[in-house]
Amino acid sequence: MKRIETDILVIGGGATGTGVAWDAALRGFRVVLVEKRDLTHGTTGRYHGLLHSGGRYVVKDPHSAAECIAENRILRKTHAHCIEDTGGFFVVTPEDDNDYPDRFHAACQRLGIPCEEISVAEALKREPLLNPRARRVFVVPDAAADSFQATHSTAQAARHAGARILTYHEVVQLIAEGSDGARRVVGARVRDVARGEDVEIRAAMTINAAGAWAGQIARTIGVRVDVIPGKGTMIAVNHRIINTVLNRCKMPADGDIIVPIHTVSVLGTTDVHVQDPEHLTIEPWEVELLLREGEQLIPGVRRARFVRAWAGVRPLYQEHYSGATRDVTRDFTLLDHHTRDGVAGFLTIIGGKWTTFRLMAQVTMDKACEYLGTCKPCLTATTPVPGAEHGHYWLGHRLREVEEHHLQNELVCECELVTRTMLENAARNNPTLTLDDLRRDVRLGMGPCQGGFCTYRAVGILHELKDEGRKTNDEGETWEVATMQSPAHNQRSAISGQRSPLAISPFTNSNLLLRDFLQERWKGLLPILWGQQLKQERLDELIYLALMNADHLPDKDARSPMSDFYARPGVVTTADHRPSVGIEEARDE
Amino acid sequence: MSDVIVIGAGLAGLMAAYYAARAGERVKIVAKGLGATHWHAGTVDVLGYYPTAATPVARPLDTLRDLTRAQPQHPYALADGALDRALQDFVTLMQEVGLPYAGATSTGDNLWLPSPLGVARPTFLAPRAQRAGDLSRPEPMLIVGFQGWRDFYPTLIAENLNKQGHRARAELLPLDLISARRDVNTVQLATALDDPARVESLAAALRKVVQPGERIGLPAILGLDAHVTTLERLETQVGAPIFEIPTLPPSVPGIRLTNALRNRLRQLGVRIEINADVIGFRAEGDRVMWIESEASGRPLKHRAEKFILATGGILGGGINSDHTGKVWEVIFNLPLVAPANRGQWFRAHFFDPEGHPIFRAGVAVDREFQPIDARGARVFTNVWAVGNVLAHCDPVRERSLEGIALATARCALTIDH
Amino acid sequence: MHTTSWHSVGMTLDECIKCNICTAYCPVAAVTDKFPGPKYAGPQAQRFRESGQLQSPDFSVDYCSACRVCNEVCPSGVRIAEINARAKAQIVAERGIPLRNWFFGRNEQLGRIGSIAPHLANLGFHNPVSRYLAEKIMGVARHAPIPRWSTQGSFRKWFFSTPRLKSDKKVVYFHGCSTNYYEPCVGKAAVIVLEHLGYEVIVPPQNCCGLPMLNNGEFPAAEKLYRSNLEKLVPYADKGYPIIGTSVSCVLVLREEASEMLDLENEATRQLKAAMWDMMEWLRDLRERGELDMNFRELKMVLPYHVSCQARAHRMGRPALDVMTLIPGLDVREGNAKCCGLAGTYGYKVEKYEIAMKVGEEAFRFVRAQGDEVRFTTSDSEICRWQLEHGTHKACRAPIEIIAAAYGLYDLDKRQPI
Repeated sequence: MKRIETDILVIGGGATGTGVAWDAALRGFRVVLVEKRDLTHGTTGRYHGLLHSGGRYVVKDPHSAAECIAENRILRKTHAHCIEDTGGFFVVTPEDDNDYPDRFHAACQRLGIPCEEISVAEALKREPLLNPRARRVFVVPDAAADSFQATHSTAQAARHAGARILTYHEVVQLIAEGSDGARRVVGARVRDVARGEDVEIRAAMTINAAGAWAGQIARTIGVRVDVIPGKGTMIAVNHRIINTVLNRCKMPADGDIIVPIHTVSVLGTTDVHVQDPEHLTIEPWEVELLLREGEQLIPGVRRARFVRAWAGVRPLYQEHYSGATRDVTRDFTLLDHHTRDGVAGFLTIIGGKWTTFRLMAQVTMDKACEYLGTCKPCLTATTPVPGAEHGHYWLGHRLREVEEHHLQNELVCECELVTRTMLENAARNNPTLTLDDLRRDVRLGMGPCQGGFCTYRAVGILHELKDEGRKTNDEGETWEVATMQSPAHNQRSAISGQRSPLAISPFTNSNLLLRDFLQERWKGLLPILWGQQLKQERLDELIYLALMNADHLPDKDARSPMSDFYARPGVVTTADHRPSVGIEEARDE
Repeated sequence: MSDVIVIGAGLAGLMAAYYAARAGERVKIVAKGLGATHWHAGTVDVLGYYPTAATPVARPLDTLRDLTRAQPQHPYALADGALDRALQDFVTLMQEVGLPYAGATSTGDNLWLPSPLGVARPTFLAPRAQRAGDLSRPEPMLIVGFQGWRDFYPTLIAENLNKQGHRARAELLPLDLISARRDVNTVQLATALDDPARVESLAAALRKVVQPGERIGLPAILGLDAHVTTLERLETQVGAPIFEIPTLPPSVPGIRLTNALRNRLRQLGVRIEINADVIGFRAEGDRVMWIESEASGRPLKHRAEKFILATGGILGGGINSDHTGKVWEVIFNLPLVAPANRGQWFRAHFFDPEGHPIFRAGVAVDREFQPIDARGARVFTNVWAVGNVLAHCDPVRERSLEGIALATARCALTIDH
Repeated sequence: MHTTSWHSVGMTLDECIKCNICTAYCPVAAVTDKFPGPKYAGPQAQRFRESGQLQSPDFSVDYCSACRVCNEVCPSGVRIAEINARAKAQIVAERGIPLRNWFFGRNEQLGRIGSIAPHLANLGFHNPVSRYLAEKIMGVARHAPIPRWSTQGSFRKWFFSTPRLKSDKKVVYFHGCSTNYYEPCVGKAAVIVLEHLGYEVIVPPQNCCGLPMLNNGEFPAAEKLYRSNLEKLVPYADKGYPIIGTSVSCVLVLREEASEMLDLENEATRQLKAAMWDMMEWLRDLRERGELDMNFRELKMVLPYHVSCQARAHRMGRPALDVMTLIPGLDVREGNAKCCGLAGTYGYKVEKYEIAMKVGEEAFRFVRAQGDEVRFTTSDSEICRWQLEHGTHKACRAPIEIIAAAYGLYDLDKRQPI
């Protein structure tokens, strides 16, 4: 079995895990990070994209709120390119009028969160679709964050400082030595999913940043970490109907936020205690709730075109908790297993929010340093990751670059302005077992047609690339991941002849890529499929079935590590709506 | 004032107008925009898979007997024999307009042609330009594409053809053989190949790469207005059989078909008004007096004795839906057969061979193809419905889109043919 | 430009299913790479535009000619041309408007100034040196068919200095700049037909409809003109008088485009929409009510009819065709060309002139195919008439001139009332 020796083993490739790897690498440690699937497969890739100002928690969870505003300021510098400075409103709708707004405002002042009240007329000028019956509006420094770009950039920063990031490497078993009461974790046995081989990784300190799966990881050595998985469902409107984050000014509740992120507007979210963090289903009542609550902020939104629905699981943690998930603390917890469970060399960092990932990593590595006997300072707060030098994200940047550099003929995913070179570069440099991996890198298939045109093109392009060489590469040094979403930068690197070895798994079958991605897209469409989007899907069906006959592609039995994941139904299909006037009883089958 | 107004300019609408004009009626077509012919293969699919997408059909007209028995409300069942004659009419008509269609060499068999993924796809009638792709022919195939052109992938096509037991290999030629433009879609490439000089340069390049005994598969871009001469020239100059493979929309074969039909209809005096979005109608009792389309000022009234609804179902925009699960027919608000609630619209898998129940939603009709309500009573005395707007079928899943369009168009208006 | 309501044209981007039908039919994308197509520039790019951005991300949308063929063929109802127009306006709002385009917008003023001394103005503009200089300095294509000022005075001058019919039946006539200053004969033909049908014609004070400003993205100025026209015309709408225009472009702006592009809708705009008629649309309506004088003389000729894209944009059918086919002996042949190419001010721009001529080739070819004996062609819009004459060297007349001639009231060759 292959064996790797390192100082720090980080389990989990989300914001927290990559943050820990970054922090550790900057402190001079050797780091290996393992993620069982693609980076951000877990919660980080499934949230609405909010960079908290902290306003949401000022009344309910002031400690958390204070952390948010501090980290908000830091991330705007270290991860500038991942953040769109949208600003945020806290809106008092007719349903919300009570004493909360004043408490909110006062608490913001107390905690140093900039909070300025503006007139409703002014708010409507900035956001014309806002509920004109709103009573009061407060402006806070919320922003929209691209967690895919951020995690990749953090990982790249870690790599630059010497870390190894291994995706599609799944922990099978933590390795512990010693006997009860005096055990020590010395590493983990990990499965390279693409090659089907096991790897043993030995480390002085193992950090469990596996989020919703943290409990499963700890359980492999009998340590109990009861993660409280709080599922949240989100639905996205096809385009930017707002450009400012809209929050309801009240105690945090379901459906009280709308986030403008990239080319969509996300309505969120619910909070449902679930058992399995892997296979989440979206129930009709959740969609109905989001639409109903959304109407309070943007009247008419329920008639908008929705393009996507997804759910993520909050890895909530509170020692000895037994209430509703909505009320579990959003604060994060560092579990020192040595003092807690008599198991040394093992830390779990859990809970928190995306906004505080850097702080979580800092706290974790400070503790790790204590144990490792070195006291190197944390550098992450003042070290911008690659890409931050480009400044904040703005919505029009891809269009601007395509226009300036005349890249129209290069477009593969026309909806999201993804060029062929962006796709090829991402495929060459990030291990790509599914098109969904590429989607996270460059936004393939994330627009209105949901892969209708670009799935075929992407599969064809990757097929042509495969002929170039069947090497895998998990280093990706020659490509700037910070610019993976920039058409212009990718064009330059293609022109300059920088070609890195192919990172696509040799086991990836083109027909499988296509089938898996279409199923993956379908899964996220079912909960919101009606009206124009239903018409879109019927066109996509016409293309892939009637024209391409894709349901009869060879290699029917081929499977990727994600095939079963996509195949599990993501919706509850039992009837939950009252039929309205005009519908005949189904006399068909 | 017209005798007949057809709403919708897809294949069903155009053919319904054709039959009415041929029978001497004054016909007008009113359509919001152009239709699904622009997105599909330009072939006539009659029945590719039955009873589910898992079972291919070898001889559709034979299988139709089983279908008629098992699904007596299917449009084919209601059309009862009209399909046969409709297909013959279509072949005759397309011959007349200079864009001949034909079926498999063994009459009655489905024709299996390569799809843009290289999968064998079943169809019944194909235009001349696609015929040499018949997968029952033994010649090995050379699939040719163009470097950097995003809408066609010969290596993938060839690989999949090989996996299905056909012999195929791939070549990529430079795109500037056809067009010096940077940004091209199928229509622009096809227009470029209307030029004999371009055809010559393509032919020269093909001659260099083709091997004796091979037939050459190209994306469906072989000319638009001058398609017939372009194809002939190419075959002559290359000296090998050539076939087109339709690819991502816009569909050039579909546009050729639509243009040929529209020209013929104009010659027959049919008025075609595109960009007429019907927003209302007026009925007196059970008779529709006029429909109204949106205009820049006042809506435009269209009066007629008879109305044929050919609006294309969910795909064509003839049927709409919303988040409550409500489904409705957009012109006349005809009663629909549809799943009772949203929870029953879909199956979990995109490729489920049974398809998704919502796409079977549509207008129910009687044997005269006049819309009926839940009790079986005719809703209007002077309205007919044809094509993809009909209930009890899934033309995409079945691969019966054009067959249903042709058969039902022939049945509208109860014309004595 | 950010959408301001659920009714804004920008919202129609959600109807788009990316089917590419619009791109397949766009006559500009067919001939040049500079315009990547209506789907790209319209609903697709719209998802990347929002107000308050540091800069507009657009460049290529400038090459949209606003012919609206995309709207015509779209099966989903996306208002592509309007989305493009608003994007152009955003560019102008940020980067300012080139002097040339500013001049184009001042059609009304230019017309008035030139009409003071039309011979001089024509001499000054229509000589090779001026055209060359205009191209080099201002970017106005030297070969583009700019119109000549009427040397017989403006339409309004003629109208107010000749005895006109008084009657209980009244209609209001909106002439527009080009009829007033360049083609007063069209206005004269309209008036004599209306009077022949027994109507008193009222010609109120009116402004330029603002189309050149709308097409070049100068929205604030266009809005001023629109509001001024509303003030001047709505009182007649209130009285129940039909407001008739012979310029399909002006009528389109006043009935629909100004309101949609400027995102301005209120009681007044709705009233104007309801009261305005295109001349041929109104005659067709008369015919349907049995009130149209059917006493036409025979006009025996082949008449190729290029349907202006602006006329098609009205979605009112083919009223010119419906009425002209009533004339005995007249062999009207409807062409299917998508656009003559000139498209408002588009083909006048030096960087777009070649594109316009390539686009128009389809229309020129159609006319040529009708035979050498053809003496006249017809087209709804003055822009098309100038472009067709430029591209085919055959005289082009407005449909109302044909009707006036068929009533025996008008000389098609001399272009004046008999």
